[in-house]
Amino acid sequence: MAYSFDFGLVVSGEYGEWLRQGLLTTLHISAISIVGSLLLGTLVAVLRLSRIKPLVWGSAAFTEFFRNTPLLVQIFFWYFGSYSVLPDFVNEWLYKRDFEFAAGVIALTVYTAAFIAEDIRSGVFAIPKTQLEASRATGLSFLQAMRYVILPQAFRIIIPPLISQFLNLVKNSSLVMAVGVMELTYMARQIEAYTFHGLEAFTVSTLMYLSISLVISFAVNMYNKRVLKIAPR
Amino acid sequence: MRKVVKLLALSLAMLVLAAPAFAGKLESIKAAGVLKAGVKDSQVPFGYVDEKTSKIVGFEIDLMQALADKLGVKLDVKPVTSATRIPMLTQGDIDIIAATMTHKKEREDQIDFSITYFQTGQKLLVKKDGGVKTVADLAGKKVGSAKGSTSEQNVKKAQPECTVVSFETYPEAFLALKQGKVQAVTTDESILLGLKNSDEKSGDYEIVGEYISPEPYGLGMVENDSDFRDFVNLTLMELWETGKFQTMYTKWFGKDTPNYIPLDWKLELWP
Repeated sequence: MAYSFDFGLVVSGEYGEWLRQGLLTTLHISAISIVGSLLLGTLVAVLRLSRIKPLVWGSAAFTEFFRNTPLLVQIFFWYFGSYSVLPDFVNEWLYKRDFEFAAGVIALTVYTAAFIAEDIRSGVFAIPKTQLEASRATGLSFLQAMRYVILPQAFRIIIPPLISQFLNLVKNSSLVMAVGVMELTYMARQIEAYTFHGLEAFTVSTLMYLSISLVISFAVNMYNKRVLKIAPR
Repeated sequence: MRKVVKLLALSLAMLVLAAPAFAGKLESIKAAGVLKAGVKDSQVPFGYVDEKTSKIVGFEIDLMQALADKLGVKLDVKPVTSATRIPMLTQGDIDIIAATMTHKKEREDQIDFSITYFQTGQKLLVKKDGGVKTVADLAGKKVGSAKGSTSEQNVKKAQPECTVVSFETYPEAFLALKQGKVQAVTTDESILLGLKNSDEKSGDYEIVGEYISPEPYGLGMVENDSDFRDFVNLTLMELWETGKFQTMYTKWFGKDTPNYIPLDWKLELWP
């Protein structure tokens, strides 16, 4: 009568292969989105710190919009909503490709970038304003001052919140299954549907998420310690 | 790692074992005076909420009512999803599952199934002018489906050259078809029919192809309760032999309904 556990079923054979494929897709989509969101987030933060008003307003609107709407809605927006905005021939071109994956990457990247931009901005605020003034006085442009003086210091300070954003991104990536991307959670669900052994499939996938998160935390903390020579306080 | 897995498994197992152990289902149902059935609440016409009465009605509900009548108890229907139905059954929250569930060998491991009470097969829903008429035409194209269904692997086996995109629900897959993101939606013909009829321009779409796979539906019951399973199976056969089953079928799938599917199969009858 009670549930009979069979972990062998979900870690080997066909279903083990499904989980492996799902894990690879999760890693793939997370890696692209982490790099993308870091770049986009930095750009948005710098624009918002600039003196050019339209850029400041634009980046502020970007941040507030994407930070304050649910990610699942955004995923549907990029996937289904783009249909009426883009011209037909662009749609046709897109749909012949892996548009599901692309929509997932865009949604994750843009959503996380909004949070990262805020983290970077607060990091920059933590650097005394006099440093920017001093760099400008030595003849550096705003962008040069940012690049060589302010951002390198700011990034050190915000490594802990950045790790949180990356970990959130990895976990949030499970939402892209809503538009049919076959990542880890999707595969666990699929095994549940086929075998009714859902508890095992979700236990294994949970452990996989846990491992990815721990590896990311460990790697960034090591970078922090070894390269930036900052011990966590 | 292995230790953690074992520990997790152990604690989960204890949780499940802690559920009250029951004597025979038949006795416990009679003692409680109510048959608790897990059904779908949005699957026209198997089990769905009727707009006028706000009650769950459908072919599967009628079947459950017949079972309850035979037992002389009241019927209590509870909506289930593919994720909740198995835990609810093993924990005793429901006595039986009637939720368009395909009987598969691999699923036998967790629960027992009744004899087949509904037979359908997987087909394709396509745009009339979309150029897809058979499964063979799907080569290099995308086909939409819903998660938790068995349709995905079946269509992949029938046409390895196609890409399957699985959505949360069938209406989303249908939207993807309308927008041209997928060239077909595939699942059981009975479900496709309901989907097609839900659209204002249902004439623009058609259901095509040979059956990709047979989909026999079975009622789900807890493992190793042979008395209850026999009761369910024998009641189904009795319903067929007295013609009540056919009347029920005609009510939901007959010519006068929008969900017309001819009854071209026979219930398995033991001599």
